[in-house]
Amino acid sequence: MPVADIHHRIAAAVNASSKGSALVHYIGEHAFGPSKVVRYALSNGLTVLLLLDQTAPVVSYFTWFKVGSRHEKPGKTGLAHLFEHLMFNETEHLKAGEFDKKLEESGAESNAATWVDWTYYHESVPKDRLGLVIKLESDRMHNLVLRDAQVTSEKEVVANERRFRVDDDVEGAASELLYKTAFVEHSYQWPTIGWMDDIQAFTPEDCDAFYRTFYAPNNATVVVVGDFNEKRLLEQLRDAYGELSAAVIPPDDACPEPPQLEPRSIEIKKPTATEKLLVGYHGPALGDVGHAPLTLLNEVLFGGRASRLYRALVTVGEICTDLRAWVSTFADGGLYEIYATARTGKTIADIEAVLYAELARVRDEVVTADELVRAKARLELGLLQSLETMGGKAEQIGFYETVLGDPSAAFQRLEVYRRMTASDLRKAARRYIVDRGRTTIRVLPDGSATGEAEAAH
Amino acid sequence: MSAPVKAPVRKAKAARGDQVTRFGLAGGGSLHVAESHAVPLVSITIAFRSGSASDPAGKEGAAKLAFRMLRRGSRTHSAKEIEDELDRLGAELSTEVSVSSSAIHGQVIERNLGAFVDLLTALLGEPAFPEDELDRLKRETLAELVEARDSDRALAQQAFRRSVFTGHPYARGATGTRKTVTGLALEDVRAAYRTHFVQGNVALGFCGDVETTRAQSLAQRIAGALAAGPRVPDPVGAPGRIPGRRLVFVDKPERTQTQILIGGLGTSPHDHDHVALSVANAVFGGSFTSRLMREVRSKRGWSYGAYARLSVDKQRQAFSMWTFPAATDAPSCIALELELLEAFVAKGVDARELSFIKKFLGRSYAFDIDTASKRLHQALDVEVLDLPADYYSGYLARLAEVTVPQANAAVAARLTADDVLVVVVGTAAELEEKVRAIIPRLGEHRVVPFDREE
Repeated sequence: MPVADIHHRIAAAVNASSKGSALVHYIGEHAFGPSKVVRYALSNGLTVLLLLDQTAPVVSYFTWFKVGSRHEKPGKTGLAHLFEHLMFNETEHLKAGEFDKKLEESGAESNAATWVDWTYYHESVPKDRLGLVIKLESDRMHNLVLRDAQVTSEKEVVANERRFRVDDDVEGAASELLYKTAFVEHSYQWPTIGWMDDIQAFTPEDCDAFYRTFYAPNNATVVVVGDFNEKRLLEQLRDAYGELSAAVIPPDDACPEPPQLEPRSIEIKKPTATEKLLVGYHGPALGDVGHAPLTLLNEVLFGGRASRLYRALVTVGEICTDLRAWVSTFADGGLYEIYATARTGKTIADIEAVLYAELARVRDEVVTADELVRAKARLELGLLQSLETMGGKAEQIGFYETVLGDPSAAFQRLEVYRRMTASDLRKAARRYIVDRGRTTIRVLPDGSATGEAEAAH
Repeated sequence: MSAPVKAPVRKAKAARGDQVTRFGLAGGGSLHVAESHAVPLVSITIAFRSGSASDPAGKEGAAKLAFRMLRRGSRTHSAKEIEDELDRLGAELSTEVSVSSSAIHGQVIERNLGAFVDLLTALLGEPAFPEDELDRLKRETLAELVEARDSDRALAQQAFRRSVFTGHPYARGATGTRKTVTGLALEDVRAAYRTHFVQGNVALGFCGDVETTRAQSLAQRIAGALAAGPRVPDPVGAPGRIPGRRLVFVDKPERTQTQILIGGLGTSPHDHDHVALSVANAVFGGSFTSRLMREVRSKRGWSYGAYARLSVDKQRQAFSMWTFPAATDAPSCIALELELLEAFVAKGVDARELSFIKKFLGRSYAFDIDTASKRLHQALDVEVLDLPADYYSGYLARLAEVTVPQANAAVAARLTADDVLVVVVGTAAELEEKVRAIIPRLGEHRVVPFDREE
């Protein structure tokens, strides 16, 4: 029997046993390496993506919502993230604290994350506890109770989270400032954790309005990877989610970022012994054709100890201690970020002299064939490493579905990398690594940490 | 670098080792293989039964430098050629040196496994230790020591280790200090290599997309690259408890938040009550609904996380509570933690709590053996840390047998609220006096600048 027929029959069997109006629709399959991701949808718009993996008797369950900090408004920043915390509280059917207790009693691993474009909730459980996870997740998608005491307490937790991630962290503070400076229109300008004043001002009403707007089945994707019975799982999903109402999801309101016409630079002082430099160039959106070549170019420049800049600045040049770079993987154009930490006695000017010369070189000359081979192998290794666990697979599927609408895009990217030429990388360099689109954050020691206290004592 | 704002993983650890095949190797080492053909990757771990505790006094950091020097040149490859080849193969290599054990971890795309083992064998068996590369690595290490001071959490851990184990090898860091690293010479690094890199001192692990027979053949090649020699004896004795309540305040400017570690001596894997104590500790601070998390985070919102941990090594290691409240909440948080610890030591856990945590630990064991890599690392831990042979494989049975009286006897016997060290990383001018005032029966206390080496 053709594979599609099998899934149609499963959906038909599930629907035949339905006591309510909720129906399960088989949509299609997506090749995922040697495996297949099966796509279903419920009548209310909930997307369901399934990948059978029987290598261990466990199941990984992700719920992705298409809501992140980009959907917030000035004065209400950090709401998506605060709300993620509140999702672990009380529902109409569960007292506060019961959600975590029930999961722990089942031996679950669970966590959640919020970023600019999305929020996810994740549980991994022994396969016989999958039904519990489905009940708990569907319950909090619809029946969350938001009380003043919980919102107040959770705001304090988030304020503390902000202190260690940003206020007392040199790199965190610099990163926040980079996005605030590089973006003047797009909502990527504010941090996902939110500004401290905004965090402290949220009310239960703010949270409730956010919940009613964005937490609905038609704004969510459930990804299940592991050892499950497909028909039984679909019946459970239908029974748990099928009667939830779809919501009217507001159209995306993010403003396009206008082109940056001249370099921007900010200097800050921190209690650190050495100078730090954070550079951002406006980069491509994850779905843009320029994303893959810029990612490959980043490997040539910064990927591992053999890369051009790592040698020039760290191992051979001995100017930096730490050096990293990353092409943002956002739904809209983000930044190509470069972070460098100077060694004692070295300065940001020393770093910039080498860095900008090397960046100019990749605009002028093509990279070598060997560099291209190595960059491709490194990215292939990275993709395979991300697929070693069921949770890793589920995260890849959910991420690419939520940002690009394609759960198997990770493998398609690998094919794109394989086709890339040195000329493609140079085009990406010329397009994205442009001086006028550069923002720099320079972190200077404030003098309180000399690194010489040992001698002084 | 920006990153998603991720919640802490709500889980705790329990484990059982199985589905790993063990073989003896010529020369006294062992091989452990966990096959999994789900993803075309192969991981190789070369675990050593010794670590930085074997560094001679005044030569701290020698073992770590020796391990890091392996990728800085071999008889056949320069440092650059090694790095280029690793990338070309789609491979990664890292080294890890801790006080009692060490390891080299490698991973490669399956189609390049043979070439990767060729490279690994050259690095292990024919290191060149070029002097210019050693000088370079020493400068890199010194820069990293300065850079590490940016992490308040690392500062807290370092101060805690140094003061809980004062005078004992567990007080030392594997990296060494500015003074010892500066003084290390090529011969010290060569000597460390000769000490650790011998056949009787290693346990090899293969996992992933490799047949067992092929792993056996490749492992013989790797082990054969090493000189013959016996395992390195563990030079570490049992640490002693330091009496009284002590405070070490690590002074760092402009802290809006503190990092706090409170604790003392904990458990040894050879204690008869090791599992009972671990289970009780999980009730106290080892899960997302534990007492500490409930009181500190859920009820008061003082700290994003609140955990209690029992570290495990060959000898008795530390028990510690970790929180990171806003500076303004730090004194109250310390007082609360000490009260909770006193109640825990005096009254232990109740039947309901024990029943709950046993379900959690028992069911979550599935996630400690759900990948070949996890199963392999359990087997290697047993081997190189001299854990009881059934440390993991008998865990579930021992867990099921733990009773309330056993758990509480273990807590009363092993933990104390009297002999505790409190480490705070914060701004002393604003906070130190308040912290001192809030700790009942505080004895020795001192303020240490965050950028001072001891």
